[in-house]
Amino acid sequence: MFDKILIANRGEIALRIERACKELGISTVAIHSTADAHAMHVRLADESVCIGPPQAKDSYLNIPAIVAACEITGADAVHPGYGFLAENARFAEILEEHGITFIGPTAEHVRTMGDKIKAKETAKALGIPVVPGSDGPVDDLENAKVVAEEIGYPIMVKASAGGGGRGMKLAHFDYELEAALSTARTEAGAAFGDDTVYLEKYLGKPRHIEVQVLADGNGNAIHLGERDCSIQRRHQKLWEEAPSPALNESERVRIGEIVAKAMRELKYRGVGTVEFLYENNEFYFIEMNTRLQVEHTVTEMVTGLDLVIEQIRIASGAPLSIRQEDIRFNGHAIECRINAENPLTFRPSPGTITHFHPPGGLGVRVDSGAYAGYTIPPYYDSLIGKLIVHARNRNECLMRLKRALGEFVVDGIETTIPLFSSLIQEPDIVDGHYDIHWLEDHLAPNGDR
Amino acid sequence: MSKDGGSLDTDLIRELATLLDETSLTEIEIELEGRRFRVARTVNVTAAPVAAAPAPAAPEPAEPARRPASEESGVHPGAVTSPMVGTAYRSPEPGAAAFVEVGSTVSSGQTLLIIEAMKTMNQIPSTKSGKVTAILVEDGQPVEYGEPLVVIE
Repeated sequence: MFDKILIANRGEIALRIERACKELGISTVAIHSTADAHAMHVRLADESVCIGPPQAKDSYLNIPAIVAACEITGADAVHPGYGFLAENARFAEILEEHGITFIGPTAEHVRTMGDKIKAKETAKALGIPVVPGSDGPVDDLENAKVVAEEIGYPIMVKASAGGGGRGMKLAHFDYELEAALSTARTEAGAAFGDDTVYLEKYLGKPRHIEVQVLADGNGNAIHLGERDCSIQRRHQKLWEEAPSPALNESERVRIGEIVAKAMRELKYRGVGTVEFLYENNEFYFIEMNTRLQVEHTVTEMVTGLDLVIEQIRIASGAPLSIRQEDIRFNGHAIECRINAENPLTFRPSPGTITHFHPPGGLGVRVDSGAYAGYTIPPYYDSLIGKLIVHARNRNECLMRLKRALGEFVVDGIETTIPLFSSLIQEPDIVDGHYDIHWLEDHLAPNGDR
Repeated sequence: MSKDGGSLDTDLIRELATLLDETSLTEIEIELEGRRFRVARTVNVTAAPVAAAPAPAAPEPAEPARRPASEESGVHPGAVTSPMVGTAYRSPEPGAAAFVEVGSTVSSGQTLLIIEAMKTMNQIPSTKSGKVTAILVEDGQPVEYGEPLVVIE
């Protein structure tokens, strides 16, 4: 086991990792920028090193400074948290070259899954369902019709060089395909100077469902069930729950087994999340995150496992401590991300917290580095904490969440707490009837002034 | 995973510290079975670690978080602060004369010391011209970003 772990992150996740280290008897080194000198993760660490000025590129993303901090403190492993350098394969390699363990997967796996095309190819080869498509450019209408028939309508025609929604045309039925194909091609040619297009199945109202995996790098891997993260805005998740209100036991086992088998084959190491779009009882691979996720907490609540402790154990070379058949899913958990943002416009609200009162009681967990008197620096993301509630079933969980939100006081700045207090009154949320567009559609009438 | 093995020999360090007091020395360094121990006191009244044990093989000081860097109030206006994390060295190589001493006159751009980070030696130039009135780091001492190194007036 490691003697000393340097945590290459800040905020609530740095604190989360410190807690796991302390329970394992490992000493902790916090790193921080000058802007974070008074942050809670610095105050609670055994040692701390200031590694640079406020800008993340000069501090939390500064690989030489982080390696130097390991050298002067004698840390033998680095936990990257999420964001920053967590999915930087080069960082993992540099640490290994310096004899420091990167608490995460191999650099090769980080790199493969970080490349959208390679990730999809790898997933497909491992038997993970992907969004069906033409697997390359389609040049003529006859060919396109054959492919579209195989995939099934609606079909999205996409520019190979595309992005930002340009060169994308939807065909609901076969008779719309010809027009979609030619307009997409014209738009693509005009926008990107390349009129190559390909076909992909179009998902209208998918949910975002992701599967948590835990693997030891020696071909042992288990799944820890799914999380439903469909409540998002501009691809930012705000509300996550486990289990998904949309899956039943057999669907859970089916997708979980597919993913666990794939990870065994890949000889994946550490924690990872395979993200899917889910529509009409089918899963479609989006990407794999080769790191701990913000919302790992809901999985912890329903499985009773500490994912960070498992992650550290695996990184130190230990085999999996638990078998698939030992995993029990108990009750329901929901996480709300408390951001320092206006709850209607989502405009960031940095500043000083004058009062801070986190909720408590049975089944309530708050992961946060905030405190009264803490000034939120404007340089980093706006997440100031996570409220996680756990109860025996979803209904009790919703009632507990409502109660906990009512207790939560954060004064001096604006937060997303009022948004969650209003969401919990929505029949769609109460019934679990939502997809990835639900929140944006719901906010649309009062979103823009 | 690399480990240097061996546990913290607190008795030895305590003994050395007592010796330091009794003899009024400022520094004692010994080498035992390949491990170096150094106990030092700072005569300088400015903020410097009291129980620094900077040699890489030496055990960690038991004290908790290191001093906060530049936002610490009372940083001297003439202080040159560290532009990076690393280990500070006062001379170009072991045994050589120090780049500067208290009382040296330096011009802007002149090397004050070296900071080693990731096996690279980085020369730290003076940001101003004047006279060195204090040197706040010891040879081989770990420094943080923003930590005051030298005072020039």
